[in-house]
Amino acid sequence: MYPESIARLIAAFQKLPGIGPKTAQRLALFVLSLPREEVVTIARALVEAKDKTRYCKICGNFSNEEQCIVCRDSRRDRSVICVVENAKDILALERMREYKGVYHVLGGAISPIDGVGPEQLRIKELLQRLQDGQAREIILATNPNVEGEATALYLSRLLKPQGLRVTRLAHGLPVGGDLEYADEVTLLRALEGRRDL
Amino acid sequence: MELRSRAIILRTGNLGEADKLLTLLLPQAGKIKAVARGSRKTKSRFVSLVEPLNLGHFLLKPGKTFYIFIQGELIKSYSGLKRDLEKLAYAQYFCELCEHSLPEGEPAEKIFLLLLAALENLEKDACPARVARCFELNLLEELGLRPALEACSSCGSKEGPFYFDPAGGSLLCTGCPRPHGSFPLSASALAFMRRFLKLGFYKLSVCRLPGRENKEIRQVCSGLFSHALGIDRLKSLDFLQQLAAFSPPK
Repeated sequence: MYPESIARLIAAFQKLPGIGPKTAQRLALFVLSLPREEVVTIARALVEAKDKTRYCKICGNFSNEEQCIVCRDSRRDRSVICVVENAKDILALERMREYKGVYHVLGGAISPIDGVGPEQLRIKELLQRLQDGQAREIILATNPNVEGEATALYLSRLLKPQGLRVTRLAHGLPVGGDLEYADEVTLLRALEGRRDL
Repeated sequence: MELRSRAIILRTGNLGEADKLLTLLLPQAGKIKAVARGSRKTKSRFVSLVEPLNLGHFLLKPGKTFYIFIQGELIKSYSGLKRDLEKLAYAQYFCELCEHSLPEGEPAEKIFLLLLAALENLEKDACPARVARCFELNLLEELGLRPALEACSSCGSKEGPFYFDPAGGSLLCTGCPRPHGSFPLSASALAFMRRFLKLGFYKLSVCRLPGRENKEIRQVCSGLFSHALGIDRLKSLDFLQQLAAFSPPK
């Protein structure tokens, strides 16, 4: 139905997550309506991002240099390390603009049924990082699901004997939500994690 | 046809942007796959329900490829298993074993109840290995693969010592010809296996299963799963081995 070049563009867009045939077609036609310079800018940005992005050699975050923007920042507090599953979790935490420590990306979470164990994660790199003795607190910010909890449990057992303060992100009710709509497990966690006012 | 049933979540996987693909075990419908749409979003009402090892009441409707999860209510989350990495790995091993040994959509009421009993026992038992061996043997029985442990399958002798032949699923005495792949089985391991098959999880905690016997029973079960069902390698078992080698202090 479409000329080969457009059909190829539609097929390329369909490879993106959450993009079905209709949206891919809409995006392809939108690209055609753009001035040539803008199309070139988009295409260059795609290739450049792919070519230049690598992982920070310290924390595993996305970076264009050997060290990421967080690890290069001298104002960051190196005594607090926030451990996350994936680099995209750092972006979520940075949106908060409150956290001033540094990060460590594990590259996944422990999942026995998927065969993902401690050896497949960047745990050895974390232990190596702790050798310099700068870190005082490790914040375990893995996802609040079975795999994330298992990872946090494993890391706490590994790190606590080293005399570090090991903390876990709180679980509970979402801000602005209604108590009556909360599920049993979340409510129980919120109750367990209640604090004095 | 709409399904309203108790179910246990054997496995979850990500599907698309915000969906989860659940592998469920139901008593009547057996092993099925269902999509829980939007369940990875923190706003989802069912975000904590659609987690591995959760037991719940589920309402599912048939979809094009998979069932569609409509709603559900949590019965038990087995939080005791999820707070202990070794027990979590064993629980997921049970689930993986069920997943690999059961065909899709076949009624599996006895296996459903067996899995629940195994998870309940695993949660309170200090020795996950004996729960695992008992579960494996009873699962083999429910699958129609119960090992013949009464006497030598060739001459009928009840006098040991015996060898176990995984291809035949039976015992052979020392006087009878033994096929390649058979291995010796101690009298004590044999006694434990008979007990596990006769009594199941009943008073299992009084059984002290030594390491050698545990290894022998494990060899019998893995031999049977391999020969009869082609289950040679399970990721959760590899994980358990890795955990033993990379284990931090408790």
